Amino acid sequence: MSKVGRKRARAGYGFISPSLIFYSIFFIFPVVFSLIASFKRWNGLIPLFSAAWVGLENYKWLFGSDLFVSSVINTVVYSVVTVVVGIFISLILAVLINGSKLSGFWRLLFFLPTVTPAVAIGTIWGYLYRANNGLINQILGWFGIKPIRWLTDPKTALLSIMITAIWAGIGMQILIITASLQNIPQDYYDAAKIDGAGSFRIFWSITLPLLRPILLFLTATGMIGAWQVFDLPYIMGTNAPAKSIMTVSWYVYETAFQSLRMGRASAGAFILFCIIFVANILVLRAFKKGGIEGYE
Amino acid sequence: MKRCILTILLVALLVSSMAFAKTKLTFAVHWSDYQVEGIKDKEGNVVTKGLRQYVEEYMASNPDIEIEIQMVPFGEYLTRILVGRLAGAASDIYVLYSLWGVQLVESGVLDKVPKEVATAIKNDFVEAAVGGATINGEIRGIPTEVANYALVYNKKILKAGGYDEPPKTWDELIDMASKLTIKKEDGTVQQYGYVYDTSSNSGTVHPYLARLYSLGGQLFSNDNKKCLLDSKEAIQALDAEIEIFRRGGTDSAATHGDFQNGRAAMVILAPWWESSLKIAFGDQYEETIGVAPIPPMKDPKSVSYTWFVGVDALSKNKKEAWKFLEWFCIEPLPNGATRMGEFLANNIGAIPSRKADLDAFPDKLNDLYTSVYVQELANTVPEPNVAQGEEIKNIIWREIIEARHQRKTPEKALSDAKRQIDEILSEFY
Amino acid sequence: MNSKSKRFIKEFFRYLIIIFAAFWMVLPFFWMVSASLMTPQEITSIPPKWIPEKPQWHNYIDVLERVPIGKYYLNSLLVAGTATLGVILTSSLAGYAFAKLNFPGKKPVFQFILVTMMFPVFIFLIPNFFLMKTFGMLTNHLSLIVPFLVSGYGIFLLRQFIMSIPDELLDSARIDGASEFKIYRSIILPNIKPGLSALAITTFIGQWNNFLWPMIISSFSPNLMTVPVGIQRLSLAFASAETQHLVLAGLVYQVVPMLIVFVYFQKNFIKGFVVSGFGNV
Repeated sequence: MSKVGRKRARAGYGFISPSLIFYSIFFIFPVVFSLIASFKRWNGLIPLFSAAWVGLENYKWLFGSDLFVSSVINTVVYSVVTVVVGIFISLILAVLINGSKLSGFWRLLFFLPTVTPAVAIGTIWGYLYRANNGLINQILGWFGIKPIRWLTDPKTALLSIMITAIWAGIGMQILIITASLQNIPQDYYDAAKIDGAGSFRIFWSITLPLLRPILLFLTATGMIGAWQVFDLPYIMGTNAPAKSIMTVSWYVYETAFQSLRMGRASAGAFILFCIIFVANILVLRAFKKGGIEGYE
Repeated sequence: MKRCILTILLVALLVSSMAFAKTKLTFAVHWSDYQVEGIKDKEGNVVTKGLRQYVEEYMASNPDIEIEIQMVPFGEYLTRILVGRLAGAASDIYVLYSLWGVQLVESGVLDKVPKEVATAIKNDFVEAAVGGATINGEIRGIPTEVANYALVYNKKILKAGGYDEPPKTWDELIDMASKLTIKKEDGTVQQYGYVYDTSSNSGTVHPYLARLYSLGGQLFSNDNKKCLLDSKEAIQALDAEIEIFRRGGTDSAATHGDFQNGRAAMVILAPWWESSLKIAFGDQYEETIGVAPIPPMKDPKSVSYTWFVGVDALSKNKKEAWKFLEWFCIEPLPNGATRMGEFLANNIGAIPSRKADLDAFPDKLNDLYTSVYVQELANTVPEPNVAQGEEIKNIIWREIIEARHQRKTPEKALSDAKRQIDEILSEFY
Repeated sequence: MNSKSKRFIKEFFRYLIIIFAAFWMVLPFFWMVSASLMTPQEITSIPPKWIPEKPQWHNYIDVLERVPIGKYYLNSLLVAGTATLGVILTSSLAGYAFAKLNFPGKKPVFQFILVTMMFPVFIFLIPNFFLMKTFGMLTNHLSLIVPFLVSGYGIFLLRQFIMSIPDELLDSARIDGASEFKIYRSIILPNIKPGLSALAITTFIGQWNNFLWPMIISSFSPNLMTVPVGIQRLSLAFASAETQHLVLAGLVYQVVPMLIVFVYFQKNFIKGFVVSGFGNV
């Protein structure tokens, strides 16, 4: 390496060192700690060292547990639906708002849920979803639709939470897509219009391809977040049959802090990590087919 | 010379500060702000003493002790104990739900109760409560409140439906529930005949246990090695609840909130709901609320759970902690009651578990609401203190919910629960 | 159909969809603010009430009497503000390194940072608590701040922004003899101001609304309680019926500062993504 290169490399190491020091303490230690815990039978009340070593037993148990497997399935459904539908709706709305008057005002309205804590969202939507006197059923009643037991019926419980989650995530996604939209040079659109292309054609052949990189970013980060969902289902879903609503993070939390099985919970968390990792690779592969190489 | 005086002064200061160094006790509680700080009137004067006032009283007469109250919400209490111990920053004194006790005892978290205290407990406290504080044959803490269950009903709704009396048997309850449920044309339920407390697993599991005991059944075999949910009593007890659903007396959307808002006829609740109901019904409270024993399936029975105060085995101040607890929970005041009894009855509205305390607060414990609970203590069986109690309760709760949704028959639901529970029991017994 | 009426129909549907969607966005908010002004009985009445009979403005005062929101605000501000500064600093430094400087191991280290984002939060809860105890931070604000000083998301985000700064700008500064740190300070930072604002907003809001970790810490050290945890205390008391209205008022207290922050910063935010050419992710 040249002298200049060495100087820059030194600076590079220097600039990332605060972050690396942080990770060496607050990442490496917890991961190693939790990994060890996942191989032990530990209730959290005795020191980790004294806990009995059980090898892969925690992992085996989890794969054999109906409720854990149901939680994984629920979380898969939840992640795929909320991310895909959410981005789809956000895309349409972003495009519509972008060309409208008062666009800043609309974006603010849509951003309201993002600044709201999950507890507030869960509480409020809990009231909206009430079977007998919730606003949603009242409105549906105007159209002659019979009341639905949104949060307790196993057929609708997960759906209810997904709707709320999509609602909560739209604002941020619209914001990010909008920024990307505004970055597309107007000339492209002008040229297309001159050639006589209709708005749908323009959207499909110009806008969408240019948005693909940002859609990758949103899908990847959205998946990572959705897979870890805990707050909303935990707050809203306690009265539905557990198999229809429980998510992996909720399962892990309960296993740790109510059943006092820290070892098993840690194993569950690592299984979750593996799933997220694989999901991420799948997302990258799907986008690769669409021409995006990676995060570069 | 000057330096000498300075050194002497510094040493004197140090020594005197050590002499005045207080022993600090930390007391982690799940009580809410009114319960800790006391109920105050508009000018801020204390009308009903809260934990803080008792603690200050003790500190005034014991100037070398400082007690810090740590408020932790009920839902996070176990987490707090866990995390605290892990980090070596555990509290000294806990007030524990009895079911958490087994795990804590087996992990060596709880200190042994001093002998004189244990004797006092056996002599002075109600049997159900002593049972609640007994784990693996030993008393592990001083019982505080004992909470059993009773049927709470809305007199006005019953009257409007043609009923002057609450149901006397469970079958009557099923019948009344379906007759008192009013559904509107658009399908919404205007009034439920029966609802249940959905705020915790206890709201479902405890009434189930009461019915099980009423039929003479048991949850576990005496050696705790087997779960007995496949017995015919167990199935009958669950079927009795599902029958209400089948007959339209309630549905899965019903909650205790409906009762509090005057839209339900009957609910089985623990005693601490009294203050909520008083607030919800305001000045209509007396004429609306009625309480009766849980309508039995066979023998009149209720189920209870207890709380007890205990000391952490790792505490550096165990002696001082027990001394404070004795002052608070065992030492009688001139009227025969203990300060804890007074606090429970007057502020929290709970039922004290010490026999003399029960007699000392007639206006609180003999009122329209609580009197029935106190009366039913005689028929009350404590919830079993078994390892992984909370996990087992969650399993039973979830299977009952499956049965309510008719996704499983009562028999299947209970046998699925039994299978999971047996597996857990085999780890410990 | 002539093009003018075609356009009219297009615009009509555009606004129809926007307003329909916006209605659902605002409805829960509207209900939250409205219900915070109701009495406990009104909140759960049948048929559901949209507007209180008489707005119970005193609910907002009652909440203050039951929970010291002022104190919680101070804690939340301190924690969120400091964590945000930390994230901005570390993310911009690391982001510059990954975007523009070359050093052996750059790619694997960056991928490592991406992977750290994929670990569930639960894995960090107990061990971090243990670390806080070891470093003696349990009783002061550091325990709420330190575990959040570095963010993989922030590093990733700012790297993307910095990548679009033209290399020529940097090279000419280097020719003039500027150190990398000088370049960072005088070229990089000013050119990603919008990106910094974006990261600041999301970090601040995320920290403000953070619940699980502050809950664990403040159950030890109550003086460190933050707004979300404090407000939850109200509804976790055994008697929820009497405090529903207070909880909602408390939630409004929690949400309003965030709206102010967003409105204040949103100009930079939008511009941020645009200027950076985020389109070339």
